[in-house]
Formats: sequence, C-alpha cells, structure tokens
Amino acid sequence: MRGSLKDRLTVSNDTRHLLAVRDFTGRMARQGPLPPEEVHKITLAVDEAVTNIIEHGFNQGEKGSIEIEAEWEGEKFRVTIRDSARVFNPDSIPSPDVQEHVKAGRKKGLGLFLMRQIMDEVKYRYKDGTQNELTMVKYVKAK
Amino acid sequence: MAGFRIQKEKLPGGVVLVGVKGFLDAHTFEQLEKEFADLFDAGSFRLIVDLAGLDYISSAGAGVFIEAIGTSQENEGNIILMRPGPNVKEVFDLLGLSQIFTFKDTREEALQSLARVGA
Repeated sequence: MRGSLKDRLTVSNDTRHLLAVRDFTGRMARQGPLPPEEVHKITLAVDEAVTNIIEHGFNQGEKGSIEIEAEWEGEKFRVTIRDSARVFNPDSIPSPDVQEHVKAGRKKGLGLFLMRQIMDEVKYRYKDGTQNELTMVKYVKAK
Repeated sequence: MAGFRIQKEKLPGGVVLVGVKGFLDAHTFEQLEKEFADLFDAGSFRLIVDLAGLDYISSAGAGVFIEAIGTSQENEGNIILMRPGPNVKEVFDLLGLSQIFTFKDTREEALQSLARVGA
C-alpha cells in the first residue's frame, strides 16, 4: 500500500461514544490489506484504550475530550489517542497473570492486557506537560 | 439502552436461557450485570447464555461473565455459553476464558451439561 491515509475523530469522555470510536477505527483499518479478523481485533484494542481513559482519566462529572487519530503509513496502521485527562502511563502497570486474575474473579487490567496482545506496539508519552498520548501500531504481516 | 438486548426463557429443571444481542462494551455491560444479579437474587444459578446474536464483546463484557460464573459455581450452578461468533470467541480465547467456560452448540447439549451440575 502506498502513501498515507489519515483521519481523526474527537469524542467526549462518555462511553456512549465507544460505538462511534469502533466504527471510525474499523473504517480506517479496512482501508488497508488487513484481514477482517485483524480489523476487529484492532477495533477492540482501541475500544479498550479509550475505555480506560474514560474510566480512569477523569473525575466523576468532569468533562474532557479524547482524540483518536488513525493513519495508514505503508504497511503500518497507527492509532494515536490523545487526551487531557490526568497523567496515566500504562507502562507503569504490568500485565496481569490473566489466568490468576480470572480465577480470582478480578476483571481490572484485562483491557490493557488485550491492547498489548493485539497490537505490535503500544507506546505512551506525556506530551508537553499537558496531554497523554498513546500510540498503538499494527503491522501488516508478510504472508 | 440501544445496542444491547436481553431475552430470557425458562427451561426445564429451573434452568434459565439468556439470549444476548448487539454489543457488550463499557457502555452496555451494566445491563447484563443487573440481569445476572436479578437472576441470582431469584435463586437461578443454572444459566445458559446464547451468544449467537452478540456482535461484539470487550473486556467490560467479559468481566461480567467472569464475576457471574464465580457466583453461580459457588451456589452449585454454572453458566454454559452457546454459539459464540468468531469475534466473540476470539476475545474469550485471548483472555484464557475458554478454559473456564463451557461452550456448547445446542440447547440440548447445554442442558445436559447443567444436568450434571448440582446433581
């Protein structure tokens, strides 16, 4: 695939926007040569990331916005999520032992686990002292 | 709430069949959570959940099942899952839940599984 294809969606921090986030991500991911099951998994990873921001990044009743930027660059599909929520670095949270987690009936942390399982890169930075920026990349695998 | 719907049916032996349709994410999961809570309050711990109509599940939705199966099994019941589509099954597989949950293709097989529970 040549050139780049980029678009952006901004939503407020409300879970009712997750459907729009998934629709946007799926639409963008389908512009490239990924098989449908990979498109679905990427959509899930982005859902999990945005859900984490909505649920952990803001205080009750606090309004905020979340920007999701999706881009095809050659054989890489990159999703960058920017928000003005409190500083949250997912790198500070180790992936849970999912089996132990599930046996104990715990459900927290599973979203981050899925993001790391699905995407080839998950990188975080706190940009300019004001913004969380999470970048996730999926490579088109050679057949 | 648009996007997620639940239907229930009483089956023989006190089993309840719960059919779910639509998407189960961080916006809709509380509906299913409440449904399970109501069923448990009513003493129904032997459940079959038909996933055929479920288009999408995220970890928020999976979390509801994780909590519910614990409660059902503590009360000598179980939750049998039926007919997940490939995208839904993938999420259960990724989370290792396919080792904890029993999946069946038909109502009869699911009922048979539950017949062995609490016997």
